Amino acid sequence: MKSESTKSRPLSSATLHILLALAGGNLHGYGIIKEVTRNSDGHYRLGPGTLYDNLKKLMDAGLVADAATSSSSKRKPVSSKEDDRRFYTLTKDGKNALAAEVDRLQGVVREAKLRLQEARTGKA
Amino acid sequence: MNRAFARFAYRLLLSLHPASFQDEFGTEMLWIFDEEYSQGGAAYMFLDGAISLLRQCSRIEKDPGQLSIASGEIITGPGIGPVRLLQAGITTSLIFFSLMWLASHPSPWTLSVRWSDRVPCYTITLQAPSHAEVVLESTP
Repeated sequence: MKSESTKSRPLSSATLHILLALAGGNLHGYGIIKEVTRNSDGHYRLGPGTLYDNLKKLMDAGLVADAATSSSSKRKPVSSKEDDRRFYTLTKDGKNALAAEVDRLQGVVREAKLRLQEARTGKA
Repeated sequence: MNRAFARFAYRLLLSLHPASFQDEFGTEMLWIFDEEYSQGGAAYMFLDGAISLLRQCSRIEKDPGQLSIASGEIITGPGIGPVRLLQAGITTSLIFFSLMWLASHPSPWTLSVRWSDRVPCYTITLQAPSHAEVVLESTP
């Protein structure tokens, strides 16, 4: 139910990057920021305010959950410093929303390529 | 910018966020601030924090509820906005630090309260050692 509303609308850049970062495994807040920076080759920078503002919305929508309360949590902290950090995980609805967004983006790319090709052949 | 001061200012910014948001993410945001500060990202953190505050406030304006300002909680009305929240935060901080300062220093001021015999009013006088006076007088 909750994912229906997300499927119908395109995801924001921040939401897409967060879901994409969590698709690789459970991460804490700072881990998500680092992963987003790495995935975008440093072109997209996520601040803690934007991150947690979006995480709250995603958690309310049921797309992301607290890994500690989620039964699918299997990741263990890599250091003792991370023991008390809160980890976030992608839910089934979150995976579906990400897949739907990727499909939508593929459609946009396909359409864009087609139009560019038409423009090129039209010129020629 | 001094690290301790920057951290204090960021905490102040966080304290202006709604109480539920602070409780849930405040500690983690401060932790990320500490990590990013060492890499020279303080200015971006402040900008991001301010934008986040505006987003949270605009959400509250649509759905009025409880939020925290500095140490306490108040009930917001539909008319409360980010500017008023910021003003309230700054005012609360100033009052808090003034009281802390007064509590930690022996007061050089002498306080006297005088009731008038003829008209129903009172005068409160704060006198400094330099004989400067602050007089608060009630209207009859």
